[in-house]
Amino acid sequence: MRQITKEFPGVVANAGVDFEARTSEVHALLGENGAGKTTLMNVLTGLYRPDAGEIRIHGEPVHFHAPRDALDAGIGMVHQHFRLVETLTVAENLILGWHKPRFWLGTRVGRRQVRDVSESLEMQVDPDARIWQLSVGEQQRVEIIKAVFRGSRVLILDEPTAVLTPQEARQLFKTLRIMAAEGHSVIVITHKLHEVMAVADRITVLRGGKSVATVSVSEVTPRSLAALMVGREIAEARRVEREHSTGDVMLEVEDLSAVGDRGGLALKNVSLGVRSGEIVGVAGVAGNGQRELAEAIYGIRQVETGVVRVGGRALRPGDPRAAIAAGVAHIPEDRLGTGLAPSLSIAANVVLKSYRAPPVSRGPLLLVRRMRELALGLIRRYDIKAPGPDTPARNLSGGNLQKLVLGREFEGEPRVLVAAQPTRGLDVGAIETVHGYLREAASKGVAVLMISEDLDEIRALADRIMVMYEGEIVGELRAEASTVEEIGLLMAGGRGA
Amino acid sequence: MTSQLLAAGINDSFLVVILASAVLYGTPLLFAALGELLAERSGVLNLGVEGMMLVGAVMGFWAVQRLEGTGISLAAAVAVAALAGAAMALIHAFLVITLRANQIVSGLALTIFAGTAGLSSYLGNDLDLSGAPASHAFAGLDVVGLGDVPVLGPIVFDQSALVYGSWACVVAVGLYLARTRPGLNVRAVGESPAAADAMGIDVTAYRYAHTLAGGALAGVGGACFSLQITPQWVGGLTGGAGWIAVALVIFAFWRADLCLLGAYLFGAFSALPLTLQARGWLTDIPSEVFQSLPYVMTVVVLVAVSSGAAKRRLGAPAALGIPYVREER
Amino acid sequence: MRFERRLEQPRWLLAAVPAGSIAAAFVLMAFVLLATGHNPGATFRRLLDSAFVADGALTSTLVFATPIVFTGLAAAAAFRMQLYNIGGEGQFYWGAIAAVGVALYLGDQGVDSTPVSILAMSVAGALAGAAWAAIPAVLRAFARTNEIISSLMLNYVAGLVLTYLIIDSHSYWRDTETFEGQTFPLGKTIPEEAKWPMATLDAAGGIVVPLGFGIAIALAAVMWVVYWRTRFGFELQVIGDSPRTARFAGMRLRRKILVVMCISGAIAGLGGASFEGDFAYQIDPTGLQSSYYGYTGIVVAALALYNPLSIVPVGFLLGGLQNAGFTLQGADFPAGLVGVMYGLILFCALGGEVLVRYRIRFGRDVRRGAPGVPATEVTP
Repeated sequence: MRQITKEFPGVVANAGVDFEARTSEVHALLGENGAGKTTLMNVLTGLYRPDAGEIRIHGEPVHFHAPRDALDAGIGMVHQHFRLVETLTVAENLILGWHKPRFWLGTRVGRRQVRDVSESLEMQVDPDARIWQLSVGEQQRVEIIKAVFRGSRVLILDEPTAVLTPQEARQLFKTLRIMAAEGHSVIVITHKLHEVMAVADRITVLRGGKSVATVSVSEVTPRSLAALMVGREIAEARRVEREHSTGDVMLEVEDLSAVGDRGGLALKNVSLGVRSGEIVGVAGVAGNGQRELAEAIYGIRQVETGVVRVGGRALRPGDPRAAIAAGVAHIPEDRLGTGLAPSLSIAANVVLKSYRAPPVSRGPLLLVRRMRELALGLIRRYDIKAPGPDTPARNLSGGNLQKLVLGREFEGEPRVLVAAQPTRGLDVGAIETVHGYLREAASKGVAVLMISEDLDEIRALADRIMVMYEGEIVGELRAEASTVEEIGLLMAGGRGA
Repeated sequence: MTSQLLAAGINDSFLVVILASAVLYGTPLLFAALGELLAERSGVLNLGVEGMMLVGAVMGFWAVQRLEGTGISLAAAVAVAALAGAAMALIHAFLVITLRANQIVSGLALTIFAGTAGLSSYLGNDLDLSGAPASHAFAGLDVVGLGDVPVLGPIVFDQSALVYGSWACVVAVGLYLARTRPGLNVRAVGESPAAADAMGIDVTAYRYAHTLAGGALAGVGGACFSLQITPQWVGGLTGGAGWIAVALVIFAFWRADLCLLGAYLFGAFSALPLTLQARGWLTDIPSEVFQSLPYVMTVVVLVAVSSGAAKRRLGAPAALGIPYVREER
Repeated sequence: MRFERRLEQPRWLLAAVPAGSIAAAFVLMAFVLLATGHNPGATFRRLLDSAFVADGALTSTLVFATPIVFTGLAAAAAFRMQLYNIGGEGQFYWGAIAAVGVALYLGDQGVDSTPVSILAMSVAGALAGAAWAAIPAVLRAFARTNEIISSLMLNYVAGLVLTYLIIDSHSYWRDTETFEGQTFPLGKTIPEEAKWPMATLDAAGGIVVPLGFGIAIALAAVMWVVYWRTRFGFELQVIGDSPRTARFAGMRLRRKILVVMCISGAIAGLGGASFEGDFAYQIDPTGLQSSYYGYTGIVVAALALYNPLSIVPVGFLLGGLQNAGFTLQGADFPAGLVGVMYGLILFCALGGEVLVRYRIRFGRDVRRGAPGVPATEVTP
């Protein structure tokens, strides 16, 4: 790919990027969130048309007008958000868009193909299972099988380990190396340094929409890579020892059970406690009940059994207003869809929880000027980059959105903060900022419950670590005494010491 | 002799008459529902069914009057009705697929545009279509001579070509969705257009095709009124059938076979007032009560279906009503 | 052709869309007329003439505009929150029924105060409309039933009630005393004192403004204030934008759905009351059911982009159109023209609305700009 340029309204995603991948290699595309990696790969797979630049395969220039062209050229991608149709079966997804069979589909369609590929890659998959019945790891396997089935010689994986346990990730890397050995070009998009060191042959680093270096793995260290990624030296997230003491138990969850979206119990008799000034991290692969835990505590999700207590007093379940009144703040996973009203202004979003009382409102009337003043103050204090308080929230970038949500929640002077994936999708600078705010909240006495898929983050910030697996707490560790292996084992369901 | 008399007696009984009428009155509903089913399966919600039916009705009627005596008038009339319905659907398709407009408002606009106070009346008036009955109408074909068989005779064997055509459509649509590649593709388009697009399926083309097909079937449904049931041109003669058809699709969990069941159920409700009146039964109850039955039952059924937790898995195509934009962030 | 989402909504577009849509619709209508052998120029001239220019045109335009401003406000109130209340038609009917019923009752009781009648009719109309809207509201809030179909089905039921009251029964609403009333089905006329007053403006040769129109304008202003300047309105904004976020903020969705639907129904019912008190003075099932005030209100609301303040002028314009359609109907003026025009206007409005949300780019243009330009910072 040469001199690829791609722009979207308000942002330049790729500016003159050069990239090449060889056969029989695993090539990592490294960069922070927002550096342009996914966009570049979307151009390669024909989803986006570049504003400038060209693509060559084996030296021949190619032009992709639609994803189909890229597929035909042998380029396949496994996205972060799977392109699978949930209500169809594995076999049906496999043959979707394929030219055989041409018209009539028998009842046994696709099964043999699924088995052929999965066996060659040493994977287990049931062709008749419907996608919504599969676990996330299994769905990823279907995506890989799909790509191989279509004869992809170039396979691109976008942040593939985000949804896997450490053990599953190792298994994936093994598979990728098998594929490279068979002659495929494997491109892995990631922002995780240790992954890159573990699996890649060569690495290309993107920063701010441009390509800054292409090196082979033997030439670099994690530290030098990090420096390339952010353009400055940074320290790895280090544990900062707590300087203040923790107080009484502020948040108490007892025997909490809740039903998930798909019907079964997503939370099974979960109990935990968080003290004032303490940060408790909840680790676990996505989909093991963490989101439901946060929602149940905050009241967005109905509770089947159990009770949540704040400061000793039980909360009325299923009522966010009760949680808000008790001083519980929540940073939801889905910032733009749940935590903010996307089309409304920043000012409106700032007062989303505080609009019921003075100074924002007097009686039934809403004081718009005060709203804007408050918003301006928040924008300044949290360094949110926005044209003004009347800008619609959806125009903000990921990091600024998170700052907005954080700022708003902190302004309410909460006693408890439930943060779900607080740094997902943010670049390193924003991550540092958010971590700083979380630590500051703890130092002010807030009981912080932090749910995260990023083990490094949890180990750096938390005092205690709980691990969730299939809706239950399967382990509790003191952070400084824990190792990645121990936590990873618990995350995968093995019960550790 | 006795058996023939017996047969005649049973076939005049209330139950048989109602069932036979249910099939007749349910047929326009069935056509329209099948059409809407196809459109919705591709992710396009088209609330303009009533308007499309009316335009199909008026144009089909016009065709049969113009082609009087040519022997192919009825077949041609159905074809014209289908084309008219598809033409109306094209407007909606352009607005919501290419221009990504709000599908609900667009469908309503189509109903207003084409409906009782709009294009269909405009055409009906301009082409001078009211007053005279159809030169040719669909009537019961006594297929294989079994039309007098007790019970099944009037219900199954003595229906018109339109009814039999509708049965063929049910089978065709059902098989299409479940067992063909284009059917698989359209299911993918309606559930997850992004996934379908990534697999190289042309989302836009599928949505256009199925929306137009929906319009064509709705047009034929309208023709059922002007070419068989009434069979005249009167403004607004579909009486809300298009809306019932939209509800029918939900009731049928987006499956062709359940559409058949639902259509005849509602057909029975529609046939009830006239049948009762013909027998002089229940005359103290105002006829409006019976006339309101189809509408009330639609709501009742809708409630029963919506509150079920089955909605997620047996339910609407996930991308229904949402425009697909490839480059949207 | 590519679509790029706009980052801001330019103000001028918000006014240009309704105006441009009407203009574009006229152009399209001209084609339709030509194709069917009518003279567009002459037709349009007659239209505009009977709508706005002729003697007494403005007065009769107001007659048509008043009900659809009410139903337009009713539709906007609900549609803004993604609640598609199509039942305005039926809620309008019930408002009319209730208002006339109350007026007749007061007359029988010997109450002859006009202000009392106006108040009673308005309240009755609003309550009746709200009650009729409560049915789909409850079904939506508690049984998650699609309100489009349920409210629409109820329109047909309400229409059947109208027919029953006057044509098929000897109900309280039916006129059984006068000669005409005994010959064919007719509704009882409300007493003189119950008829709503009108104001006469001296402009343009004397325009008669009905009380209802004044109420509608006031209502529009109130709606604007409530939506933009009160806590309640704020909650509606959030719910209309993202129900999940509203729940996150602790707002009670179910309650709001009920309240907003009932308010919408109440406004439509009030429209029905005004219709009776200002113009009709009796229940006329055929007239009511062929006027489609409820559905036209939806067109008005959509065209005005659901802004209460825009609904009044838009309602006035479309009222003129409907006036023309009514006055001119006959052998040589195309029937159904009005519906076609409304449809065209709405289509153009929908197309125009796209321009508000997106910018259209043709072909592939390669831009060379400064890479990675961030949004500007705020200078407080």
